[in-house]
Amino acid sequence: MRSRAMGFTAIMAASALVLSACGADGDDTDDELVVWHLETPPNRVEALDALAEEYNNGDPEMPVRFEVQEWDEIYSTIAAAASAGDQPDALFVTPDLATYVRQLGLGAPVTDVVEGLEAEHGFIDAAIDPYRDDEEYWAVPLFGMVQVLWYRGDMFDDAGLDTPQTWEDLLEAAETLDTDEHSGIALPAGQNQATDQVLYSFMVTNGAADIYTGDGEIDFDTPETVETYELYDELLQYSPADSGNYSWGEPQAAFNSGSAAINIEKGQYLTPFEEETGLEPDDLGCAPIPTPETGGQPGSVYFSNGAMVLGEDEDRTAATDDFLEWLLDTENYGDLLNAEPGLYLPLTENGAEESDWREHETISTYEECVDVMLEQSETGELFGFVDGQYIDDVGEISGQNFIARAVQEMYVNDMTPADAVAAAQEQMQAAD
Amino acid sequence: MGAPDRSAPGRAPDSPAAPAPRSRTSRRRRRGGIKHDLFGYLLLTPILAVMALVLALPLVQAVLTSLRDERVIGSPSETVGFDTYLIILQDPAFWDALGRSGLWLLLNLAVQTVLAFGTALLLQRQGWWARTARVWVVLPWVIPTVAVAVIWQWMLNSNYGVITHAFAAIGIDLGSPFSDPGIALITVILVNSWHWFPLAAVVIYGALATVPVSVLEAAKVDGANAWQTFWAVTFPILQPVLFALGLVGSLWSFNVLDTILLTTGGGPAGATTTMPMYVYETAFDAFRSSQAAAASVLTVLVLGVAAALFVRFLRPKGSP
Repeated sequence: MRSRAMGFTAIMAASALVLSACGADGDDTDDELVVWHLETPPNRVEALDALAEEYNNGDPEMPVRFEVQEWDEIYSTIAAAASAGDQPDALFVTPDLATYVRQLGLGAPVTDVVEGLEAEHGFIDAAIDPYRDDEEYWAVPLFGMVQVLWYRGDMFDDAGLDTPQTWEDLLEAAETLDTDEHSGIALPAGQNQATDQVLYSFMVTNGAADIYTGDGEIDFDTPETVETYELYDELLQYSPADSGNYSWGEPQAAFNSGSAAINIEKGQYLTPFEEETGLEPDDLGCAPIPTPETGGQPGSVYFSNGAMVLGEDEDRTAATDDFLEWLLDTENYGDLLNAEPGLYLPLTENGAEESDWREHETISTYEECVDVMLEQSETGELFGFVDGQYIDDVGEISGQNFIARAVQEMYVNDMTPADAVAAAQEQMQAAD
Repeated sequence: MGAPDRSAPGRAPDSPAAPAPRSRTSRRRRRGGIKHDLFGYLLLTPILAVMALVLALPLVQAVLTSLRDERVIGSPSETVGFDTYLIILQDPAFWDALGRSGLWLLLNLAVQTVLAFGTALLLQRQGWWARTARVWVVLPWVIPTVAVAVIWQWMLNSNYGVITHAFAAIGIDLGSPFSDPGIALITVILVNSWHWFPLAAVVIYGALATVPVSVLEAAKVDGANAWQTFWAVTFPILQPVLFALGLVGSLWSFNVLDTILLTTGGGPAGATTTMPMYVYETAFDAFRSSQAAAASVLTVLVLGVAAALFVRFLRPKGSP
């Protein structure tokens, strides 16, 4: 009898747990805005939470709560949330993620907010263009990210090398610095976004930024793209032997440990440089992405990170707009950018000068490199959004890392650059 | 659960001598048995309900998804019947992944069995090092997979890897084990085996402890050497344990995703893409949920057949 009672109690408890889980409908979030972001490193989570707390201390109509989501899972997470009608009030996005979220039937136009902010702060074109479609803006740009060339000043000085400005200079420097002690350069060649981005930066400098025709068809297999892969193939000769498994972290680790002399990446190199290398800040060299000798143009991959408004209730949407406007106010914008100093770049014209962003120790210490990144931002591109394009299903291409796959075929399976690019064209067409 | 003995002692089961009393007794016992069985099933209900919730429902959901053309999970889709299965079966990458999974399973089984058996036999010996090793041998197993992946990536890094440098010091260039397509799969298999062999070693060590000393001594008296004693005495006694370990271990091993994902991500150029990686990439990189579900269903079928063959041909004699 006692065991039956215990069994009954256990069943009831389990049922209650299941039912309570099913019934969790966000009642506790009715009076607060939920904003999902994808900035998982603890320092960024902490900084964004601090911003929300500061906003909430101002007694807004609706307080804000940040929730962090994994970048790798956001496509399925947001789809599940959309089908359950349980999406957050706002979501941090990149342009390609934004196209996907819109295909799920989510997202409200934020044209009024963007135009208001544009009038007040002035956005750079690369920040707002990727979010414009059907005469509306679909996300409020928050911060930018751009790639530049990083090099070890100490190694360059020892070898008597100047800052590489052209592809030829870069090849020469990588070859010269490729010694028994260190590799000339550390490039990612894994099947991942890191490889996509570095190779795409070179493509931009060679006039191959646009991988679509005017009709939105894939146009990847061009002579300029093949030339870019040929350059990458040559550079990989001077990269560590396990580059085929490299993503973001490995090249930076090789650079900071003194195992590689040159890298191409975004601004996350600033903060840990002194501590991890034991060198002076002056030893961190930086420059725009080198360009081809003839026909080249300045450029790099550029990401405008924004926030989409996903709520459907008018009051909540208005409250979300208020919060996003608050974030871009020069009083607060510096704190947002310094959630990851150097990586998050201002994309408003007054954001760099009028906020306290430049007062941060990292930004002021590496002022020259920060300015190089800001200058590089002006020539930034992102495939699917070149020259005012808006490719609805660009996520299908970016999500599968076809650019990186072609690098792998070339680097790992000894395919020629031309064959690798042709194969990538076919794969992209099949996926499109 | 054994059936109750219906025959009375000292009387033939079908004897007509006293049919009525035997029948009443039998019915009473049967009623008692049914009540007993019902109570047993009742006790099983909660766990069966939980299993249905966490296993059967997702499985049914996967089958239903595989019959649609859903791309991103949760996105609108239409029922297309077995078209998705045809797409998967015509994809060379699926067959490559299946073949690689077969190799992965066999090599993991072989490497882990050898390591586990060797370790268990060493642990059986006397001495302080054996006693100490009994505790520390499980260390690789208790380390989280993510730490295992990072540790091995560091140790085999071409720039600053300890193992790379150690081999370089004796004139051997290890190259880049995780990014060389010729050896990447075997490297990940070795890492995975290093992670999991302690579990098998501890189980085998426990089973070895059940081998009666008297039997071993009898074999020794009969003049059997160490190998003969192991093969003719110890191994048959261990067979039921090894059978269960082999079956469960194979299924676990086949489904390993985390180690591969964290060390090579299925690369380089697909060289370590086993079935779980293929399903993962199809679902979360290519956003083809239905194709991933179809590949999963096919994998379940393959595993079911493999498990049945394993039971059919490797079941120890005399086991139920």
